[in-house]
Amino acid sequence: MLKTMFALDEEPHPSAPPQPMQSPEQLRSECVARTGVYRLLSAAFIEEPGREFLAALRQPDALASLAEAGLAFDDDFAASDLDALVDRLSCEYTTLFAASGGFPPVESVRLTGRYKQEPHFQVGQIYARCGFVLGRGRFEIFPDQLGAELMFVAELLERSVQALDAAETAEFARLEREIKRFWTLHLGRWVRGYGRLLERAAEHSFYREMGRFLSGFADEEIAAMRLRIEDLDQARVVVPKREIRVEFNPDEPVCNGCGPDPGAEAGTRPVATVHPLHDLR
Amino acid sequence: MEFPKITRRTFLKVSAGTTAAAATAPRLLHAMENELGGKDFDPVNAAERKAIPINCHVCNIQDGAIAYVENDRVVKLEGNPEHVSTRGRLCAKGNSGMWYSYDPDRILYPLRRVGARGEGKWKRITWDEALAEVAEKLDAALKEDPNTIMMKYGRNRTGGTLDRFMQTLGSATVVNHTSVCESSKKVGMEPTWGPDIETPDFANAKYVLNFGSNVLEAAYFHNPLSQRVTEGRIDNQMKIVTFDVRLSNTAGFSDEWIPVFPATDGAVALAIGHVILREDLQDSDFINTWTNVTVDELKAHYAQYTPEWASKISGVPVETIERIAREFATTKPATLFTYRGPAKHLYGSYNEKACMMLPIMTGNVEKRGGYCLPRGMGWPQPEPQPGKPAKASYLSRPPDYPLAAHKVSHLVPFWIAEGKQKINVYFTYQDNAVYTNPGSTAVWGKLYKDEKLIPFLVSMSPFMGEETALADLILPDCPYLERWEPESMPNSLWPWLGIRQPVHKSLGESRENRVLLRDIIWKLDPDGSRGMKKFWDFKDGEDYMRHHFDNVPGLKEAGGLDFLKKHGVWPIYGKLDPRTGKVTDKTGREIQAEYGLFRKELSVADMEGTVVDAHGLINKNGKAIGIRRNGKNYVGFPTGNRLINVRVDEWAEYGFNPMPTFKRIPWHEAMQDDEMILSTFKLNVHKQSRTAAVKWLAEIAHSNPAWMNPETAKKLGVKTGDLVRIESAVGYLVTKAYVTEGIHPKVVSIPTGFGHWEYGRLATLRLKDRKGDASHGADDPDLDNVWWDDKGVHPNNIIPVVADPIGGSQGWFDTVVKVTKAGPNDKYGDTQGDWDKHVAAFKETMRYAYTGDLHRKMHPEMASWGGPESVKGKAPGGH
Ligand code: SF4
Repeated sequence: MLKTMFALDEEPHPSAPPQPMQSPEQLRSECVARTGVYRLLSAAFIEEPGREFLAALRQPDALASLAEAGLAFDDDFAASDLDALVDRLSCEYTTLFAASGGFPPVESVRLTGRYKQEPHFQVGQIYARCGFVLGRGRFEIFPDQLGAELMFVAELLERSVQALDAAETAEFARLEREIKRFWTLHLGRWVRGYGRLLERAAEHSFYREMGRFLSGFADEEIAAMRLRIEDLDQARVVVPKREIRVEFNPDEPVCNGCGPDPGAEAGTRPVATVHPLHDLR
Repeated sequence: MEFPKITRRTFLKVSAGTTAAAATAPRLLHAMENELGGKDFDPVNAAERKAIPINCHVCNIQDGAIAYVENDRVVKLEGNPEHVSTRGRLCAKGNSGMWYSYDPDRILYPLRRVGARGEGKWKRITWDEALAEVAEKLDAALKEDPNTIMMKYGRNRTGGTLDRFMQTLGSATVVNHTSVCESSKKVGMEPTWGPDIETPDFANAKYVLNFGSNVLEAAYFHNPLSQRVTEGRIDNQMKIVTFDVRLSNTAGFSDEWIPVFPATDGAVALAIGHVILREDLQDSDFINTWTNVTVDELKAHYAQYTPEWASKISGVPVETIERIAREFATTKPATLFTYRGPAKHLYGSYNEKACMMLPIMTGNVEKRGGYCLPRGMGWPQPEPQPGKPAKASYLSRPPDYPLAAHKVSHLVPFWIAEGKQKINVYFTYQDNAVYTNPGSTAVWGKLYKDEKLIPFLVSMSPFMGEETALADLILPDCPYLERWEPESMPNSLWPWLGIRQPVHKSLGESRENRVLLRDIIWKLDPDGSRGMKKFWDFKDGEDYMRHHFDNVPGLKEAGGLDFLKKHGVWPIYGKLDPRTGKVTDKTGREIQAEYGLFRKELSVADMEGTVVDAHGLINKNGKAIGIRRNGKNYVGFPTGNRLINVRVDEWAEYGFNPMPTFKRIPWHEAMQDDEMILSTFKLNVHKQSRTAAVKWLAEIAHSNPAWMNPETAKKLGVKTGDLVRIESAVGYLVTKAYVTEGIHPKVVSIPTGFGHWEYGRLATLRLKDRKGDASHGADDPDLDNVWWDDKGVHPNNIIPVVADPIGGSQGWFDTVVKVTKAGPNDKYGDTQGDWDKHVAAFKETMRYAYTGDLHRKMHPEMASWGGPESVKGKAPGGH
């Protein structure tokens, strides 16, 4: 199961009783494990999977752990020629995500029906506030692209590990809140349904399983973080109408009692040095 | 304490007694609509939005607009109040333009086809890979013959960049779309008075004859001219008479709608001219001074066009023709407007000519309230410029159509299939011939799918239109809000220059056209050794615009491109009066246009070194610059002899009647009782093919039932909503009927712009939500509130090609069809066209060309013509 593989707790649920306090080591290993998953998913969606990535993923160990997480790839992934697979997946990627008539993995598109709407700017502002800029990989992407959003959380988790290593508990708590907030305002609103849609519509088992992985992992993460977030995407063919909304409120309150963003308060936490999101090149 | 009972009357009395006091009360609220100030505010925080002036390009009227940008995103589009033609107003289409930029179906990366053509399988590739592939194909084509590289464009507002590209490559194979648009209107007018269009001064006219234009909804120049039509109608009590087969909104706004039998407007116009001349209502002075015929010649020529003759052909009563002739000739000023109605027929050029003769013979040309020449402005091209290609191209100057100065693009697939010219690389830009042309998939679909005929098809497009879907390589161009382009359009009586400028960085990896063409050339000639790179020595789109605009006299002093970036348009003639919506000068009076352009006298300096010939033609350095009339030196008209050519001698050289005439369409004459004519038209919220994916517009109009008259419907036994089968000589379709009095009983009419099978999720209403589906129209929030499931039926498969042997226009409204109630096996949306039958239609229409066997038969009056041999070797004409 996913939870086993990624060292998540059994059966976490918002209504469950509070979790027992974890030791710093436990927290650390959980952060490391989660970082790995975010990076894996990010790599699957941020652009066409590269040869090295696929080769690594097809290693027996990796396949075994993916199988353990319930991912069942068909032979089109596991037993095909690697070069042919790279080519096949880049075509599938284009059909699903980059050509007309597909479903771009972009939050603005999923939630408003258009590119470059509110989530685009909100996410960009969050990256900047946290000291990141979005670099360019093989292709230029939007800040609210699925791969970028997942990569952002991976980066925050890496910082969490650093905070734990330096025994900066306040910083760790702040980062934890940042991640929760990001899930609440962004990832959580769309990736579960989106993953289910992908599972349903993909031709190739790689994306089918990655879609399943995405939605399953998102469910787990949301539960583990004890968040309540409505899935606005719902993998629906028809989802609620969003006309162009000309305003948005950047101070929108976050759910589940996360406190005000300490970083936003003047002087309390200067913006960190610019830290490019992972550059896939 | 009790107040005495106060009645309403008592209150009102107070008002009467306090008028003066009330007048001094502060007035802080203003009607919002009156604030035409070019400003916009965020409704939540009241912050002023960034206003970027641009030129609208949803359709081709080129209205001045302002994009309001908030957070680097366009949130609203509005008319530019500084733009003299637009005057702060856009149409519904113009208001919706931002949908293009953020369309989830927009193509943001170069795509290479990986399946069969049209299968919808693509691979995203980098620009470098894409450019290398194009360069390789071009390189091979150049080695064989530069003319095997073809560029076909639809809406080209690049200001010369596409031509520069093709000239750089040395190819003359540049084909436009004009023959499916308005070419016979242009060719009807150009040899006569110079320009290809008229500018009617509607705002000041007292009488308008409208032949087949629907200016309140579409046509040139919809938004600016419909404002002036309304002004003329409301402020000036102008009378409008519309001849149209259909009760368009313009016809409905007119005082009279006169349904004519299709393709007979020209006969009616000639008969009106006959009455004017017969009753001596013409402006003899104007005719004798400014045209190349005399009144007597004209009277003699028009004697044949009696109202009785025209009435029999057109169905318009004799007394109506006579009455309108008298009204038009005696109401001054009067003007006339045409659009596709008269021109899109086998002999459309003759029809257009017949119509334009009416303002000419009544002397309404270039008068306030009359029929004016268009006003435009030009701009220089960046230097150095590539020279003209060495060899002519058959496809761009087909020898059978020497007078068709705007080409005959709709016959191109047949010529390619016949092997008239080989194509190795085919570029398409803002074109969608497989949707917009006659024959549609049956003709262009067949061409594009044939990899022998078109080995490499490159589409420069931000959208997956029907044609782009058949490409081998897609280079993602930018939609209009992200491009630099120079503009000028004669859409009012005041000339202007304008720009389109990007309102934000282009999305994804799309590149504006001039930049991607530059990149192709740079790839092809990286070190400049092939002599190509020097023509593309610019940094970006803005740099290119500086070459255009920084040295235009007048604009240069105002600031050149920087002025345009700030204002969007130059010059600024005055201020928009929010009360009247008119542009006013410093004194508050409406600015006035300049009239009588042809009567402008040449200065002493102009006359220096000139030679005046026996006809009064003033020549300077071998070029005619004016005409002497009654002892004065005028600039005259922009024709070779500086006069209006009622008689077009060049037409006679090719066996066409040089004088105003009319030719009945032979197959219309032979129509059976159960046959009808199919016409098409545009609605006010759609253009040819590129608006079906714009949600605001699609929501307003998304389906296109066939209009038919109750009389016809009764005979067929159908009512509104019933399925009908419409069959032509080349195919059939099944659609719904819309029964209305607003259509000629012998006409069935279908709006265009619907029935897409590509162009994204909204246009196609196609969904992919499971494995195995076609990759079109994924599940999408945009499809929410898409409460309609009817996308309409596209008619072009069943419309055969017809080419005007003079102007080259497609005869869109010449198709004879049989309409029947749909049978048990007919399904809504069925449509089929047959390539072989379309080929037969092509061969038939070629028989009317000046080289064809029917040409002489159609022109018995030209019996003395020496035949095609007599003009062999003569350079094709045009203008
Ligand atoms: S008529 Fe409408 S769509 Fe066309 S340019 Fe003007 S505003 Fe734009």
